[in-house]
Parts: sequence; C-alpha cells; structure tokens
Amino acid sequence: MAIPISQMWTVATYVLKKRLSGTKRYPLVLMLEPLFRCNLACAGCGKVQYPPHILKKVLTPEQCFAAVEECGAPMVSLPGGEPLLHPQIVEIVNGLVARKKYVYLCTNALLLKRRLPEFTPSKYLTFSVHLDGQREHHDFSVCKEGGYDIAVEGIKEAVKLGFRVTTNATFFDGADPGSVRGFFDEVMDMGVEGIVLSPGYSYEKAPDQNHFMGRARARRLFRTILSNRKRSWKFNMSPLFLEFLMGDRHYECTPWGSPAYNIFGWQRPCYLLQDGYTSTFAELLETTKWEEYGAASGNPKCANCMVSCGYEPSAVMDGFGSLKGLFAMARGTFRTYPDKRAQEILENPETAEHGHQARALEETKV
Amino acid sequence: MTASVQKYSLEQIESLELAPAADHRNLEGWVPEISNEDDLRNALEKAFDYRGDVTLTLKSGARIEAYVFNRQTAATLAESLVQYFVPDAPEKRSVSYAEIARIEFTGKDRAAGKQWEDWVRKYNERKAAGEKGIALTPEALD
Repeated sequence: MAIPISQMWTVATYVLKKRLSGTKRYPLVLMLEPLFRCNLACAGCGKVQYPPHILKKVLTPEQCFAAVEECGAPMVSLPGGEPLLHPQIVEIVNGLVARKKYVYLCTNALLLKRRLPEFTPSKYLTFSVHLDGQREHHDFSVCKEGGYDIAVEGIKEAVKLGFRVTTNATFFDGADPGSVRGFFDEVMDMGVEGIVLSPGYSYEKAPDQNHFMGRARARRLFRTILSNRKRSWKFNMSPLFLEFLMGDRHYECTPWGSPAYNIFGWQRPCYLLQDGYTSTFAELLETTKWEEYGAASGNPKCANCMVSCGYEPSAVMDGFGSLKGLFAMARGTFRTYPDKRAQEILENPETAEHGHQARALEETKV
Repeated sequence: MTASVQKYSLEQIESLELAPAADHRNLEGWVPEISNEDDLRNALEKAFDYRGDVTLTLKSGARIEAYVFNRQTAATLAESLVQYFVPDAPEKRSVSYAEIARIEFTGKDRAAGKQWEDWVRKYNERKAAGEKGIALTPEALD
C-alpha cells in the first residue's frame, strides 16, 4: 500500500476513537465539490450536466472550510467539475492543509503544469490525476485526443517538484485487462505514489447508459487485472477494497463514509446518487433512510455499484476495526494474488469479455 | 424508495452482467397537466430530476424560471417545498408546493444526447476527414 504511515496513523486512530466512542456512522472522506464546471466533455459523464448559471456557481473558501469543520473527516477529496478551474482553489487547498486534512485534489491535469507553481508541496496534499488507461484508451475515454500527453506532462512536473501524486482511473465495460496492466507499469514509471481505481457507476443522469458493468462482470474484470500482481505496482487504496473488487470479499455500502457537499448542500445519500440535499451534515446523518440504499436494499439505483466512495470506507473500517482486519490488510499489501485462470485470460484475450470500448477503439483503426 | 419501485434480490444483483439502465425520457418542452395533488407532486419530482431550468407559475401569477435542485415532501402541500436557483441571484430560494399552479420544462435538457455511440460516430467521421486533435468541448457558459 502506497499510503504514508502518518496518514494511515491518522485514519487508524480516527476510526479507533469513533469505535470506542460508540459512534455508529462517521465519515472518512469528505467529497467536497467546489464547482461542477469542467474543461472536458466526456461522453457519458453524469456529473456536469447543468444549465450555465449552475456551472458558473462555486463554493467560496469559507463555505468549504465550514463544511470540512462540520463533517470532521480526516481526508478531503476535491472532485468536480475540474477543481483547477475554481478561481480560489489555491486558497481552499491551503486552508485545508492548514487544518491538517489529507487533501486529494482530483484533476484531469489539463491545467496542472501551468498551475503547479501556485501550490506548495505538503504531506497533506496529493494531486489525484484522472487517467483512464494508456494513451489511446484515456484519450478515447475523455473524448480528447492529446489529453493523455498533457496529463502525463503535469504528473511528471508535479513529481519533479516534490508533490504527492496518484492516478485515478475508472474502468467501464470492455476495458482491456492487458492494457490496464501495461498502464499500471507506465504510471509507476512516472514516479507516482500509487494508483487509485474504480469501476464506473451508472449515474442516473449519465447520457450513456449502456456501458456500465454489472457486479459479476466487474468482478471478472478486476480479478483478471489485479491477480498475478507485479510487486512494482502500488495502490493508494485499501488492499481489502481491491479484494472486494476481485470478488474475494463481501462488503455492504457505507454511503456516509464519503459524504458529498456542493453548491446545493449535503447530498443525500452519497456522492453518486442524488436523492436530495440537506442543509447540515447532522441532518444528513439523522434523516437519510440509509436502509433504502446499498446492494442489500435491492434498490435498483445501487444494483451495479462497487464504487470506492461507498465500499472503500467499508474496507477501511474493517481493516482498522480489528486485529484480524489489520492482519488482512498487512497480508494484502504484500500478496501478488496468483491465479492461473486470470493468467490464461491475459495470455488469450480472445477468451475474455470484449465490450464496447475495445470494440469502438478497433473500429477507429485505419 | 416506494414499494412500487422494482427491487432486486442480493443474488440477482451479484449476478448482473450489465447495470440496469435508467429510463431517459426527454422532458424538454413538457407541460404536465395538473388537476390534482398527485399530478403536482409527480410533476415536481420530475422537475427535481430534470437537468435543465423549469418555469414555475405561482397561484399569485408570478413566474419563476429556475433550476430546481431539491424537494422536501411532507404530508401536506403546504409543508412540502422545492428549492431552486434562479439565473441572476446567488442565494438558494424555496417555494411551497401549495403555491405552485403550473410547471413548464422550458430549459434545455443538459443530460439529453451525448451518447457514447454519438462520440464514436463523430470521431470516425472527423478522423476520416483527416482531422487531428479530435475532441469534444464543453458548451460555452455565456
């Protein structure tokens, strides 16, 4: 696991304190969306379809700090939209770092190289760069030729300047496991601290509704990708969450583990689903009908979800919640997960699923 | 979630190959007929889901063009409310269901279209035409 000891210690002691105090529901990561505007127009994105007057709105630094204080989570993720389009993003990041929050600024990195001089390296600040695979796959995924090269330039510059950098990939139906593994090699060679990955989620508002994997297919894909692991690969994620993706563990969703705050308020019930908003975090915790969400609820909106914002908190709380969990995390960190069937699929890719993205890429070959 | 919403068993969910897709009906231009309380509640639920502006006509005659981002339903219309942003003001506003007489889905549906297949088709056409640096760009905000 690529996460620094100081961050793991902060999270472990936070979880322990919550458990000792008998707190039933507590957040681990605040998903703080300072704006919805983006400088990409990815087909199928479910996050940025709003009228222009909504896309122009931003959270002020004061609103961000108030949300962080109210929530109390030790980590803050800044997704969007594209956070580097926010005119006061440096002030927001500096304020969060001053509060000793571990900040993940999620960016497509189109502006990263240009804006890096405005930021100061810190153990509390990580640039989490959206890269969905190797050059051809990433460019096709974000609907922008040349997007990969710009992002990689930003990553290399950030690493050179001493920033913590991770990559953040979302995989959809038809992702090529061999290419994904090649991508892991490439990003580790760039000097990043670790890789973050997740299956795509079928946002109800996503225009592209036909290419989201169900759980069975997602497990097969991630078993093929993550088995027979190279020791050079580092993941900025709980090893237990990766085991969940591979189908080795069962977890229920912990939607309050990664609460989302944006210009509309506290989003009910989670970062992905929009079933309404509350004015305060306490109201979110107290009035949301949590039993109506997660796979076990049978809610169709949660049927395909295996996304990190709901299931990684479950894995982290499991890992830091008992000696057994701690041992499993330590073991998972060093295992390579040998699997003959996964190796066969890698060596004979025609036996594997061949979904929409791979087919579309083949159609574009001239 | 109401009992009428289809539920899956955990076994069904675990064996899904593809995610169940949401039903996308383009509501742009729709003016629902409101003849009773249920009609009003259903129309406002659709307005909450809609990714474009709507125009609310109040019983007072006032018209509000707004993006409805939240609704809080209660036992009575007077206790239920929608929250919205209007284009030319920074603050959140709200209005009781009981004050609303008519709803028009007047704004462009920002979630409509933009399918993956559309991107593949455009890409192939532009590539065949010899274009370099092919990309989709966000719509202008002004």
